[in-house]
Amino acid sequence: MAKKTGVFICSGCGIGESLDVDALVKVAAKECKAPVCKTNPFFCGAEGVELIKQDIAAGELDCILVVGCSNRVNYNAFDFGPSVTVERVNIREQVAWSHEPNDEDTQAMAEDIIRMFMAKAKTVEAPVPYIVEDLSKTIMVVGGGMAGMTAAIESAKANYQVVLVEKEASLGGWLNKLYKLAPLKTPFTSLEDTNLEARINEINSNPNIKVYTSANIEKTAGGPGLFDVTIKQNGSEISERVGAIVLATGAVPYDPEKLGHLGFGTSPNVITQSMFEEIAKKGTIARPSDGKEVKKIAFIQCAGSRDAERLPYCSAACCVESMKQALYLKEQDSEAQAYVFYKDIRSSGQYEHFYKAAQTAGVIFVKGDVTGVSAGNGGTLVIEADDILMGEKTMADELDLIVLANGMVPTTAFTEGAYVGCGVQVPEPEAGAEAAAAADAPVPAAPIIKSNILNLVYRQGPELPDLKYGFPDSHYICFPYETRRTGIYAAGSVRRPMDMVQAIEDATGAALKAIQCVEMTAQGAAVHPRAGDTSLPDFQLNRCTQCKRCTDECPFGAINEDEKGNPLINPTRCRRCSTCMGACPERIISFKNYSVPMIGNMLKAFEVPEEDEEKPRILIFACENDAIPAIDMAGINRLQYNPWVRIIPVRCLGSLSLVWINDAMSRGVDGVLLLGCKHGDDYQCHFMKGSELAEIRLSKVSETLDRLGLESERVQAKTISIMDYEEIPKMLAEFMEKIEDLGPNPMKGF
Amino acid sequence: MVDNKISSAPVKYDNSFAKEIYALENGHYAQICMQCGMCAVSCATHDIMDYSPRRLFNLVRVGKKEEVMRSNTMWMCTACCMCKVRCPRGIPLVDVMHDLKAMAIKQGYVDYPHAAFHQAFWQEAFSRGRVFEGGIMARFILKRGLGEIKKLLALGMKDMGMGMLKHGRVPLVPPRKIKGLKELQQIIQRAQALQEKEAK
Repeated sequence: MAKKTGVFICSGCGIGESLDVDALVKVAAKECKAPVCKTNPFFCGAEGVELIKQDIAAGELDCILVVGCSNRVNYNAFDFGPSVTVERVNIREQVAWSHEPNDEDTQAMAEDIIRMFMAKAKTVEAPVPYIVEDLSKTIMVVGGGMAGMTAAIESAKANYQVVLVEKEASLGGWLNKLYKLAPLKTPFTSLEDTNLEARINEINSNPNIKVYTSANIEKTAGGPGLFDVTIKQNGSEISERVGAIVLATGAVPYDPEKLGHLGFGTSPNVITQSMFEEIAKKGTIARPSDGKEVKKIAFIQCAGSRDAERLPYCSAACCVESMKQALYLKEQDSEAQAYVFYKDIRSSGQYEHFYKAAQTAGVIFVKGDVTGVSAGNGGTLVIEADDILMGEKTMADELDLIVLANGMVPTTAFTEGAYVGCGVQVPEPEAGAEAAAAADAPVPAAPIIKSNILNLVYRQGPELPDLKYGFPDSHYICFPYETRRTGIYAAGSVRRPMDMVQAIEDATGAALKAIQCVEMTAQGAAVHPRAGDTSLPDFQLNRCTQCKRCTDECPFGAINEDEKGNPLINPTRCRRCSTCMGACPERIISFKNYSVPMIGNMLKAFEVPEEDEEKPRILIFACENDAIPAIDMAGINRLQYNPWVRIIPVRCLGSLSLVWINDAMSRGVDGVLLLGCKHGDDYQCHFMKGSELAEIRLSKVSETLDRLGLESERVQAKTISIMDYEEIPKMLAEFMEKIEDLGPNPMKGF
Repeated sequence: MVDNKISSAPVKYDNSFAKEIYALENGHYAQICMQCGMCAVSCATHDIMDYSPRRLFNLVRVGKKEEVMRSNTMWMCTACCMCKVRCPRGIPLVDVMHDLKAMAIKQGYVDYPHAAFHQAFWQEAFSRGRVFEGGIMARFILKRGLGEIKKLLALGMKDMGMGMLKHGRVPLVPPRKIKGLKELQQIIQRAQALQEKEAK
């Protein structure tokens, strides 16, 4: 297509002092034939921006190369509307600041970067946003407990329509079972009423909230902005179109039947926390066996939790709950004795004050491992434990009641009432097994537990993929509420174990994310991490071989299938990570501003010196989410690194196409380094599996390299996070050393 | 440091002693101890204590009166305040130790020389309004018995004492009592009465 590209080379911020800007202009204007090429010492200033604008108007430029700083800064200054594509060519952090000034190699690096981006600019087009008709901005909240009610109220307050679905006959969830709440506000020292009625009234009286109680979700189809939900209530089916979903179905207590080693089942006076709430709610705290008022009580913490054979995780709320329940007894009888046997008191956040309040009220905390629970005199119970702080065996006897703090299990961890969240293998769905057998790329499929909550009509499975123990997978640091299904946000104890204060905060956060999602979808833009990106993958379906790799590898389940097995994208579910692009063996998936040939052109554009020049070239594919920021940080900190590297930013390493490595190697590039995020259970990849997929694909590249007669060590993948920026010079030096050991690429000059 | 074994039988919890402690002026602070051990690692004299302050507080909680009252922990406390400064719960350990010392004396648990010295010093100060070293020594030896002199000599205190005498650091003649001694004593007695009242 006819394309006019303008190149604007900034000489400010030390660029002019360390690089020959005139030579750069020569490269852009003469060699790459840019119709417009200008320099200015301050392009991001009002005057500089005005210059670019004038040139856009005069020359009808449709692509702008801003050669200067990183795209992580000044992005607002260089926004010229949707019709002009802007490519930021980073010669500040990545060249001028991180290499020796006025050096031949530094200059070559800057020139090559311009060549690369000029090559990319040839085929870049401005993306066209996908605008949905009949878009709904309604937020559906699933679950009417503390988190669900909070999410509903918060969304309604922000003036969004809310549909609240609760499976029980009344709202309140766990709150219905509680006598009182642990403090929710400062000074975090005294018990609070559940205030349930007022909370329900607030929801019922809000005209923005539509409540369905005794209701289940039959199925959820569509995507953000277009979810078509079928709700079953009292035998009738109701259809709702909603924009985004907050999943707040909460957790249930861990099955106490599995706590026989702590005496559950041996005596009616060994009970769980929820049973204690029932007793307290009735009025007098008395022994279930004979109704005698309780004078001495013991709580056993981590009953089942933090136990490799039961729940390996900490259930987060039980410590505070036990303190609260001990205070119930102290409220009834201040002379009554309460003991808490704990592993570690985890009264997170402000609950430290509550812990102190419980101590002041006379609750005694014993750090010890309970070794046995047995019957004592007169219907009492005895706990034997190893007191860790005393280094002694200890014993609490004449106990009237023992309460087990039996942790929580997310509602998403159950299939037809059976717990499958932890250690239990879910049988793989047939379709998945078939696809895995058909495709030779072994995609680590995320397990999906059929928990009968959302019943998604997605090709990839009916519920949210889980990470561990049945909790929905999310990027726990950067986007905790994001599940792996775009537009569905988990909040409250279904997301991770948490207490009420955290659940309220969580629900508010998830509601905000849901609102962001419907608003972004209305603009045809992606939600984070590529927030605002309007590009979408195009499929050249006439060349599709129905291998299903794109549908399998899409981390967000965005791609369905039509009857013939062709991929069918749901544009509003797409997060623009381009994992599908890297997955496609036929390379038929591309974006308007990011594609396999586009990157291919980039890596063909830089110069590879002849062998006798003794200047090897290393090509780096760096993830835009963490590796590029890390490289920028190295520049900002003026760390010097090898000038023989050429860096190509990629959206995610998941978009890596092996043909790039092939092309680079056959050009005579001496080594290829992939910089991506950490993977595994505590992954850092913003698109869940991108860097992992890249490494899996890389394991197949050795074959290609062998065919070319090259050593497979020339291509390596490394994980890096923004915090590791100090490691970059060392990492590159080590890789360079290895490449020098291997000698130059024999393909040079062919 | 003594053997930290408290007894071979399993520890049973008995809160009657704890209640006694919590009733002291600063005793209630022992309740909010969370056993982090910051006091123990901060303590300069921890090595020569029977129990570290953390352990002592735990013993209070468990109800081990004999062990607590007979321990040397509070007597070895130099009141440097490092633990008080560092305690994340803000417990004024020095003040608690002081209360424990007072209680131990009052209930007749103590046979540490430190206790006798504290008392001798205080009586001296109370009776004169200022301190006379010779008087303290006399009171101390009277309290501990004459055998204490031997012990002191064995510690090489003779040379030090002679040296101090020679340089006039220790006067032989008692100093004059202060003016208004009666009033001072009244102030002190009043303060003691108030303290006892407040603790209740």
